[in-house]
Amino acid sequence: MSVSFKTPLKVTALLSVAALGLTACGGTTTPSATESATAGSTATSASAPAEKVEIAYMHRLPDGEGMTKVADIVAKWNAENPNIQVTATKFDGKAQEMITKLETDVKANNAPCLAQLGYGEVPEMFVKGLVEDVTTEADKYKDQFGGAFGQMTVGGTTVGLPQDSGPLIYMYNEAEFEKLGLEVPTTAEELEAVAAKAAAGGKYAAVFTPDEAQNWLAGQAAGAGANWFSSENDQWKVDTTDAGTTAVATMWQNMLDAKSALVVNRWSEQWDAAILDGSIIGHVAAAWETGFALDTLDGTAFEGQWRVAQLPAINGSAMTGPDGGSGVAVMKGCEHPAEAMAFNAWFNTQVDDLASQGLVPAATAAATTPEKMSRQFGGQDVMAELVTANENTNAVNYIPGFSAVGPKMNEAAAAAGSGTGKVADVFTAAQDASIAALQDAGLPVAN
Amino acid sequence: MSAATVSSAPKARGRWSRQAKHEALSGWAFSLPFFICFCLVFAAPIISAIYSSFFQEKAAGGGLFGGGEKTSVFVGLENYIVAGTDPAFWAGVGRVMLFGIVQIPVMIVIALVLALVLDSFLVRRRAGWRLSFFLPYAIPGLIAAIIWGYLYVPEVSPIAANLPELGGNPFFMAPQVVLWSMANMTTWTYTGYNMLIFLAALQAIPSDLYEAARIDGASGWKITTRIKIPLVSSAALLAVLLSIVGTIQLFNEPTVMQKLTGWMPNTYTPMMMSYNTMMGQLTPSGTGPASAISVLMALIAGVLAVLYFVAQRKVNK
Repeated sequence: MSVSFKTPLKVTALLSVAALGLTACGGTTTPSATESATAGSTATSASAPAEKVEIAYMHRLPDGEGMTKVADIVAKWNAENPNIQVTATKFDGKAQEMITKLETDVKANNAPCLAQLGYGEVPEMFVKGLVEDVTTEADKYKDQFGGAFGQMTVGGTTVGLPQDSGPLIYMYNEAEFEKLGLEVPTTAEELEAVAAKAAAGGKYAAVFTPDEAQNWLAGQAAGAGANWFSSENDQWKVDTTDAGTTAVATMWQNMLDAKSALVVNRWSEQWDAAILDGSIIGHVAAAWETGFALDTLDGTAFEGQWRVAQLPAINGSAMTGPDGGSGVAVMKGCEHPAEAMAFNAWFNTQVDDLASQGLVPAATAAATTPEKMSRQFGGQDVMAELVTANENTNAVNYIPGFSAVGPKMNEAAAAAGSGTGKVADVFTAAQDASIAALQDAGLPVAN
Repeated sequence: MSAATVSSAPKARGRWSRQAKHEALSGWAFSLPFFICFCLVFAAPIISAIYSSFFQEKAAGGGLFGGGEKTSVFVGLENYIVAGTDPAFWAGVGRVMLFGIVQIPVMIVIALVLALVLDSFLVRRRAGWRLSFFLPYAIPGLIAAIIWGYLYVPEVSPIAANLPELGGNPFFMAPQVVLWSMANMTTWTYTGYNMLIFLAALQAIPSDLYEAARIDGASGWKITTRIKIPLVSSAALLAVLLSIVGTIQLFNEPTVMQKLTGWMPNTYTPMMMSYNTMMGQLTPSGTGPASAISVLMALIAGVLAVLYFVAQRKVNK
């Protein structure tokens, strides 16, 4: 038996090697369909009664505990608008995976009518031909939205409406600041000084987060007056060597060299531990972080001690920059763009409901600070502070392919954080990766 | 069949061929489900991947946003040239090779030892041990990687907290160590699986061989080294080949570690590179370039498998 066993086994071995080796390439062609097919089927089943239309809407909102659920908001609309019935589906996955799903859905002609897109992804989706031109429809609702309206416009074509924005702010622990005799920093120099003083007292008033480098540092640069992506003679021009960007690099490099900034990934156990034990007392954060960043402090001595302030002026610029934020776009192949946009405009002006999801609504109507946020920030009117930041945002004109730029920036930021590189390298990486991304997509770029 | 051929030759031939035809037909019919499944889930994706590896998505129009339309352009071997000349790709290949050269022998030896111990009369409650060795394999790879991740992060780990930092990184997450942190994860997961392959081969050895050896006065150690180990060499071939393929496809572990460390590039292993190319996190992106990377890796895996197969046959002869 043992002798005759040998040869067949070898053959099987080789066959299975071939099988496993080749499935590796087969696997990549299969789209990651994490979502049920309901979203797609409702979009195509609009052949129902002539007046009644059905709209599918796919989102990535948190829908967490104590929030007004998206389904409940949508139910309100459906009750008032029997002829425009909306089905909302939550995509449980990363933003990038949802993009890939939408791409395959559009090709298969069963994409949802409306989908949530990050502002950084909108130009990319436009270039790929995955969104509808709804400029005329969008213009009807333009005055209900602030500056973020421009983030849903690509080269003069509007593809949807903005939902929330994430201007950078500075959040700090007021009680700890008082204990250490620190003033809230209003300039980059003051932030450096405050961080140095806090570090002397064993605390960190500044945190360098390599895994968030892409939008976090790009936003700070924009706040400092940088305009990385512009056009000249119908060609892209990429420039990350301006004074504002350099000032951002200098500020963080100084704090890293002085060891006055804590280096941790934003989405890590290290961060969670440092916020919980009180070693972090200040952080340059995106506005949306106020919705959940302090959740772990509920019931601890630190509850209610934190406050929100404006981003310190870097390079003498009193502006801030965007870190994230997204809108709802009309996807290619949507059969009822007008009805979809009507819902889109209504949904994104339900500011109090959206604020409960931890968003800073892009609509101009002011949202009231949710109860939870008010408690966590010691009764401060956080929303008012965030709206101020929103109004002072210097927008970023994202290039198509910006999502490929981020990983290179984050990698360089990790090197800077561990001391093997410099913060300035992050911006060199951004420059090189941006030019490569544009060239690889076949778009004109000036060198 | 011999009974049928005994009767007169010409008559038999006609009947025989009809019967053969019938047999062949039902044979094909029986294998039809296999062929349909094979084509659907195996051949079709491969063909589609190879086909798409010759295309790239390019902007259809001019202007800053390429006219808001993309077309699939035939680019010949360009995707292969881009991947093949990318130092990041070969750095990734180098990493998985180094990983395989160290991890596979360690794992195979441990698996063989475990199988020999279980096959001997040294242990009681064999089924229980067998199950417990195999259990890590039953845990989904990603979950296992996350569990190990928790043991590597100093803030939550009972082990890592006492180890020094290397170049500003926690010990298990430092550039010099991370490959071996991942090797540890895969060894933990797949040793039991390989042990099972060996155990099956060991139990297929007829017991009269052992009896004969004992009559000849062989000790337990001699039986192990002279009979058991040589007779499981074809099982070792299978185990090593599967491990080579698994190493080439290294993805879950580095992806989890990338999340934890932050410094690992999107090209750390070739499969990560392929995935991130597909997801637009690396450029040139899209199905075409991603398929080209995958096909290249499949070829490399195939070459390695054949090399190992040939080498082992030479050694055995």
